[in-house]
Amino acid sequence: MNLKKIWEVREFSTVVILALEILFFTWYLWPDGSRSHPFFNAPNFVLIFKYSAIYGIAAVGAAIVIISGGIDLAPGAVMALSGVVASQLFVERGWGLGTSMTTGVLVGLVSGLVTSVLVVVVKLPPFIATLGVMGITRGLAFIITEGRYFDVSSQLLGGWRPFGLPADWVAPIIMILLALVFQFLMTTFQWGRAVFSVGGNETAALFSGIAVNRIKTSVYVISGVLAAVSGVVLVLVQGQGKADLATGYELDIIASAVVGGASLAGGRGSVIGAVLGTLIFGVLRNALPQIPGATFYDRLIVGLVVIVIVVVDQLLLKKRG
Amino acid sequence: MHKFVGVALAAMLAIAGCGGSKEQASSTGAPAKGQRLRFAVIPKALSIPVFNYAKLGAERQAKEYGNVDILWNAPADADQLKQKEILESAITQRVDGIAISALNGDFLTDTINKAIDAGIPVVTWDSDAPKSKRYAFYGVDDFASGKIMGEETIRLLDGKGKVAIITSVGATNLQRRLDGVREALAKAPGIQIVEVFDIKEDVVRCAELIATGTKRYPDLGAWVSVGGWPVFTRNATASIDASKTKVISFDTIQPALDLLREGKVTVLLGQKYFGWGSESVKLLYDIKAGKMPSQQIIDSGVDVVTKDNVDDYATKWKKMEAGS
Repeated sequence: MNLKKIWEVREFSTVVILALEILFFTWYLWPDGSRSHPFFNAPNFVLIFKYSAIYGIAAVGAAIVIISGGIDLAPGAVMALSGVVASQLFVERGWGLGTSMTTGVLVGLVSGLVTSVLVVVVKLPPFIATLGVMGITRGLAFIITEGRYFDVSSQLLGGWRPFGLPADWVAPIIMILLALVFQFLMTTFQWGRAVFSVGGNETAALFSGIAVNRIKTSVYVISGVLAAVSGVVLVLVQGQGKADLATGYELDIIASAVVGGASLAGGRGSVIGAVLGTLIFGVLRNALPQIPGATFYDRLIVGLVVIVIVVVDQLLLKKRG
Repeated sequence: MHKFVGVALAAMLAIAGCGGSKEQASSTGAPAKGQRLRFAVIPKALSIPVFNYAKLGAERQAKEYGNVDILWNAPADADQLKQKEILESAITQRVDGIAISALNGDFLTDTINKAIDAGIPVVTWDSDAPKSKRYAFYGVDDFASGKIMGEETIRLLDGKGKVAIITSVGATNLQRRLDGVREALAKAPGIQIVEVFDIKEDVVRCAELIATGTKRYPDLGAWVSVGGWPVFTRNATASIDASKTKVISFDTIQPALDLLREGKVTVLLGQKYFGWGSESVKLLYDIKAGKMPSQQIIDSGVDVVTKDNVDDYATKWKKMEAGS
């Protein structure tokens, strides 16, 4: 891959921004004297990955939906519901860990199917359909918990090490694996190309023989399932299933996908880009508080970053022709 | 093209993965002489007004010491997961001390213990995490202050009438206050609690609930709020007919005192807002110097403010705000 080609890679600007961001904070937060670096250290990077993964896993699904020309507002609520269901089964009903968590993921499958029916059969605009599903899933989570929470951590105890790995690594590994798998599916499989076609021009896709409805169904189901995986991982890593967790995260997730190159008009975007997008926000959330007085600038900077990255991306796109 | 990005991701994970053992070794001990101390002070949310006074208190105390930096940080809204993330980053970023008001004490217990194990002293203020290994808690005795609210309510209503309670579900301290209110009110058989509203730390939602609740219970004797939400804004209590319904609320920051003077509100319970910040910083500073807190629970006490003492209280407050 020569230099010119790298410049043309969709995720290029996202990677550059992420690298610049890390460099900036490494420089700005350089410690005085013998003190170790507060930002550039291994446990801190694990932490950034751990929290970014909560958004990142769902952002993989969100990116696919956006590429298909749709939008999904339900991920935050689906995360809460799947987490609540999984943790309730595990803590209160005494189900096994595996079956509880699988059932949690199935919650996402069901909510994805409901969304698909609303979009494909009832022909609701995705914004409205998923807004409704968001309310329903969040509502169900509150109905199940009645304001309580289910404490998974007390049952898993301190030394929970899945496959011999530290618990903190679970979320990042799942995120990276899912990102690689779906990047592969989106770029080399017929299904992936069909998702791009549907998002690019639905009528053209229909006439070229693509089963548009089936593609749409698949993207909302994937988005639901991945949001549920996020929710289950959240419960496992954070130790609580609670109805108000992940409130408002859908917007962070969509922002990550957009920063990672996804166009809300559909037809373009990248799964890996979305994950990189969550890391950009993850680094900001982690490093900004280190600067005394910066905490109130957090939101403003996140907003600016979204705009700058998307503008840069569009300029690059124009240049590529 | 995914190869390139894949490599970048792998490289980042490699950075993250290696050297994990280094941190345990270098995490304890007092800072070298002359080195500045960085204390992370974490309120429940940036959007809750009372915490600004804690910030003022913390920063003033830090200035007095001269070698302390305050890293004031919290989620914008009361988001428990984000608060946990902030607490965890304070650990990986190896601050010299953490003072936190826990949104959900049980949720943070493991993380607080992790900080202590890593050699970072943690104190809690305003809202405790009682099951954790935190060195100390500075704040009101919530159960006792809840009881005061209940007793004031009984006194104002002459022991009979309907009462609606406002709280925010999830925080341990609010739950304790609620328990206190309930225990006190249970002693007056003529008093009936018609509803306990959960307003989710949201001032606007609180105003809305008061408006709808006032319509639904026109003969309501009193609103009892275990947090300051009804008195943080002028309009939350606007729908209440003060001649029929009393308001007993936590917190005394403005416009609460004005509302009290105007008769909209009858009793306010003031906390040691500046102390949340300054006492926490003092505790951490002493711990770093090897001086352990004399007790685990440090009761800050409350100020009961009514029409009779509101002017004295306001004068005292102004002095505190000006830092004299």
